[in-house]
Amino acid sequence: MEPGMKIEISFILNGSEVKVSVHSHHRLIDVLREQLGQTGTKEGCGEGECGACTVIIDGLAVNSCLYPALEVEGKSVTTIEGLQGPKNELSVIQQAFVEQGAIQCGFCTPGMIMSAKALLDSTSDPSEEDIRDALLGNLCRCTGYVQIVEAVKKAAAQLKGKQ
Amino acid sequence: MKQFEYYKPLSLKEAWELKKKIPGSLFIAGGTDVLVGIKNNEIHPPALISLRSIPGLNSIDTGEVTRIGALASISDIIQNPELREDFPVLVEAAKSLGSVQIRNVATIGGNLCNCSPCADMALPLLVMEAKVRLQTAKEKREIPIDEFFKGPGESCLASHEILTDILLEPPPKNTKAVFMKKGRVKMDLAVASVAVRLDMEGNKCLKACIAAGSVAPVPLRLSKVETVLEGATLTQKHTVKAQRLAEDNVIPITDIRSTEEYRRKMTGVLVKRAVERALEWSQA
Amino acid sequence: MTDFHHIGKKTSRPDGPDKAAGKAHYIHDLQRPGMLYGKIKFSDHPHARIKHIDTSKAKRLAGVRAVITANNTPEIRIGFLRDNFALKKDKVRQYRDEVAAVAAINLEIAKEAVELIQVEYEPLPGVFCPHEAMKGGSPLIHETDAQGRPRTDNMVPLKFHHESGDLEAGKRAAKYSVEGEFSTPMVQQCCMGTAGCIAEFDMNNNLTIWAKTQIPFLAQRDFNRALSDMGLPDKNARVIVPTLGGGFGSGLDTHAYEYIAILLAFQTGCPVKIVYTRDEEFANLSPRQSSTTKIIQGCDRNGKLTFREVEVLQDNGAYTSWGATYPSVMMMPATSLYRVSNVYFNARLVYTNNTYCQAMRGYGNPEHTWALESNMDELAQEAGIDPFEFRMLNRNESDETTPMGLKVSTCGLKECLETVARKLDWKKKRAKDKRTGKGMASLIHVGGGARIYRSDASGLILKLDDFGNVNVYHGGVEMGQGLHSVLSLAVAEALGVRPEKVLINPTDTGTCPWDVGTHASRGAFMACNTAILAANKLRSQIFELAEELFPKEVEKNLKKFIKKNPGYTPPDFNVPKASKRERFELRDGFVFIKDGPQEPWLRIELGRLLRAIHFRSQGQMLTTEVFYDPPNELPDFERGFGNISSTYAYGAQGAEVEVDTETGEVKILRMVAAHDVGRVLDPQALKGQIYGALAQGVGYALYEKLESQQGKILNHNFRDYKIPTVQEMNFPIDLEFIETNDSYGPFGAKGVAEPGLVPTAPAIANAIYDAVGVRIRDLPITPEKILAALKQLKQTK
Repeated sequence: MEPGMKIEISFILNGSEVKVSVHSHHRLIDVLREQLGQTGTKEGCGEGECGACTVIIDGLAVNSCLYPALEVEGKSVTTIEGLQGPKNELSVIQQAFVEQGAIQCGFCTPGMIMSAKALLDSTSDPSEEDIRDALLGNLCRCTGYVQIVEAVKKAAAQLKGKQ
Repeated sequence: MKQFEYYKPLSLKEAWELKKKIPGSLFIAGGTDVLVGIKNNEIHPPALISLRSIPGLNSIDTGEVTRIGALASISDIIQNPELREDFPVLVEAAKSLGSVQIRNVATIGGNLCNCSPCADMALPLLVMEAKVRLQTAKEKREIPIDEFFKGPGESCLASHEILTDILLEPPPKNTKAVFMKKGRVKMDLAVASVAVRLDMEGNKCLKACIAAGSVAPVPLRLSKVETVLEGATLTQKHTVKAQRLAEDNVIPITDIRSTEEYRRKMTGVLVKRAVERALEWSQA
Repeated sequence: MTDFHHIGKKTSRPDGPDKAAGKAHYIHDLQRPGMLYGKIKFSDHPHARIKHIDTSKAKRLAGVRAVITANNTPEIRIGFLRDNFALKKDKVRQYRDEVAAVAAINLEIAKEAVELIQVEYEPLPGVFCPHEAMKGGSPLIHETDAQGRPRTDNMVPLKFHHESGDLEAGKRAAKYSVEGEFSTPMVQQCCMGTAGCIAEFDMNNNLTIWAKTQIPFLAQRDFNRALSDMGLPDKNARVIVPTLGGGFGSGLDTHAYEYIAILLAFQTGCPVKIVYTRDEEFANLSPRQSSTTKIIQGCDRNGKLTFREVEVLQDNGAYTSWGATYPSVMMMPATSLYRVSNVYFNARLVYTNNTYCQAMRGYGNPEHTWALESNMDELAQEAGIDPFEFRMLNRNESDETTPMGLKVSTCGLKECLETVARKLDWKKKRAKDKRTGKGMASLIHVGGGARIYRSDASGLILKLDDFGNVNVYHGGVEMGQGLHSVLSLAVAEALGVRPEKVLINPTDTGTCPWDVGTHASRGAFMACNTAILAANKLRSQIFELAEELFPKEVEKNLKKFIKKNPGYTPPDFNVPKASKRERFELRDGFVFIKDGPQEPWLRIELGRLLRAIHFRSQGQMLTTEVFYDPPNELPDFERGFGNISSTYAYGAQGAEVEVDTETGEVKILRMVAAHDVGRVLDPQALKGQIYGALAQGVGYALYEKLESQQGKILNHNFRDYKIPTVQEMNFPIDLEFIETNDSYGPFGAKGVAEPGLVPTAPAIANAIYDAVGVRIRDLPITPEKILAALKQLKQTK
């Protein structure tokens, strides 16, 4: 490999295969935002503290600001853009956030929703403690978290009811 | 953004070859410490050699000896049923590390090799008297974990050495071990942390291992405190004495996170509480 | 109780879906064709002369399009005292002083170029403490003032003073009095979306700037002045506000980085984007001002307050921004929270080489209420009176004028205090466990705008189109608080359309009428008041035109209806005769006759009526504009007098805490909050505002502090600057809204954006005292401080 050279990677993004050439020092968030135009994922701190950049990789919530682009080869990545349904309708979790007033400035929202989704995909009946633990790495300065926790509870109940 | 090359060797052999070829290159596991260090201009490696694609490094095997691959993620450790059963103190510490997002990517090996005085995974391994396996292309050695940490950010790893496994002997049935951590908020580096392991026979303590974090250049075994408990029939007098001795045998500093006095006091309090909890548990 | 159709009903905010889908575009997401990226070189010293700036290496780096310093750009003075500069020329006065800047084709090159700029400094002795800075012989931060006249000291030339009644008489009348000195630290707004802008000139040299601002029109004024400094006196700055990732006061001033982006855009002829990273935001954006307050209060033997004496000293930092005017707001609780007729208030500000500060939510009120409400509890104890009873005894009531001249119209303080006491089970016997405790505190804040400038006005345009849509142009800023949501409800309610038909346009100085800024909790108050005025105007116009056109449309409708329903006999009702302006109503987007028959063909959809008005000879389109300046006064802050707002929002909060006496940790078991909101407009948004503010109050009380050493911010990241996470907020918050239905407010509402964090810290501190008997007077209340105080308490016993 030569310095400055770009390497082609291929991965599944929101259900579709993508191929993109990246620099070795790029992070997944750079690829998503700059190269693939998926600006829903936000950079809030760049150090894995705020969670605004949370995406789901192979079912696990991760901070895309600390995920080397080259490590995503062959993996399945879900971002906020991948949550809408086939008719562009909001998913259950997104709708719950809207209805419960869990969104104010909205900057933390995509990351918060992805963390909630990762939880609800693996736990159908989360306790409040489970929810708070899942969202610990997502900072919000606007809401005080009250309506966010309510939204996740509501989404959990709705998703459980659908099963 | 700092520029660096990024390699994904598929074997340890390839990893060692790359390390030899590129002076100044660093091995990287989950990257949650290394990448932040690069971002903040604390380290400037020309290349990173990722160990994530090397098969076998992240597996967890239980048997006569429990072997945890260095690349096992913190989440893997929390979810492993055998570890939950046999080494709950390790799982407790894992649960306290960072957030879900960090735990899904950070590894036990990475946490150890980062050598922070407050490394959450170090304390349970110290009290369970784990060994770590270190390998180069030429040799393999196993050392007790308390020989691993040399100073803040400094381990005993030779330049081409890779920590590949953490090895744990099954503890006696009467072993109870507790981990406690105090931060400023729930998701935080430890301001003070302890792990306490007691092997009890009724009220008699056969073995005591106590480790403290954030109160010395490295995660520390508090042998003077252990001596007070080992062999004794434990009463409240002992827990109080353990608390005082813990306070006296650590060397914390004042930094932006906390003060020396507070860390000292907290170590004492956490030791006392951890001993009490371990006792309660063993008597249950 | 009026029955509203939309006001007070649960509603989802219109911008929610886009934000949930990741489709809202913040400054970080915006691109312009040909855009360059700007990065700033900040000072390496807190106080130094700039001897030389070498930009040669930076200029030569491939991809760099411009490197600017004060030496190759016109001088642009900024700040309301004009004591700051976009780029620093002769000296630096704080670590974050902007010394040079670069525009490059990408961010990586821009960062590299900044590192290649070499600056030679001659360090000067720095001063980091206001007391030191006040001493004779202290280094001078500013050697001259904005007019070039030599300065002899570091005092900021602003006076905040109030005297009412007879302080000495008040002191003599006091049987009990308690003195205390309180302090609050610098804390950061911590918007999740960091600061940034994109500046772009067109070929006519007019500027468009997408800015993270809460004051688009005052920013326009500032930028136009800068254009003039740049030799473009007749050119115009157009300020557009995109979706903002929070505000909390950080956008109430213009910032050096914005002028730098403008200078770079002008020099390169390309759009230039500057966005702060989180580190830069912590280290280089102005935080909340710290404060030290000395307060003495006294009461008579019955517990009636007889005097209040306050002395405030502020560390102004190196330059002046809105942090310097906190005392103007501190004056409000100092003179008007509780009834006290003999008040003395004085504030001084001193320049230092610390970072300069700007507005943050509450703007001096949390700082002062911290001191006042803690001291009230101490005085209550001294007088042997229960803290709740003490507050009730001295409470403000409706229709009173306070020593500062604040005309309190409605005041819900009594109900708020009673609600908090009831919810906290205040009268219930306290556990003698010496670990748990309860405390309360109240607040007063402006609730009807705040005249802190020559104008407190706001304009609004409603433009009806052919489809019954109401296009709204309003200069207030949506930064997450729900302004657009509440505005669409107000328009819907006042005009008579469904909220989904209310389309709010981006805040843009090019299209919206003037508004002084979204601050002082005035956003909803102003937006909704102007909406009501504009809607009423439009209704008059519609109903007047409907006199002629409504009957014609009804006739068409009836014909169609009869065709579909043969055999139908319409009721005997003379439509043309009934079509009088005073008999029309518009509701849910349909025009009908108020007391007419309920037949469907008698309801004309608004869009249809508007098309009828439009598409005829000498047709019309209906657009209306209002400009509303509320009936308040610009106070004289040197005398401390003036009715700054048209109404005031009171409130109270209570906390129940548990203190771990071995670790000093405070666990909040629950909080209660009762806020006098006038009227609940948008329940979900209002709850969100209070919960969010309360969380900031908890952070202020227990966790947050910017650590500054010799002028340098040490904890410039979230690893070491801790804000509450979802786990710190893991306690029930019992929130109640008291509706006092104020006549100045839209539908009776008061502004409530800031009150949520004003009494939080003292409520918690008072609860801690109740629990373990230690009084911490200096925020944040850390476990270290509690443990040290407990140790001292033990030793004194």
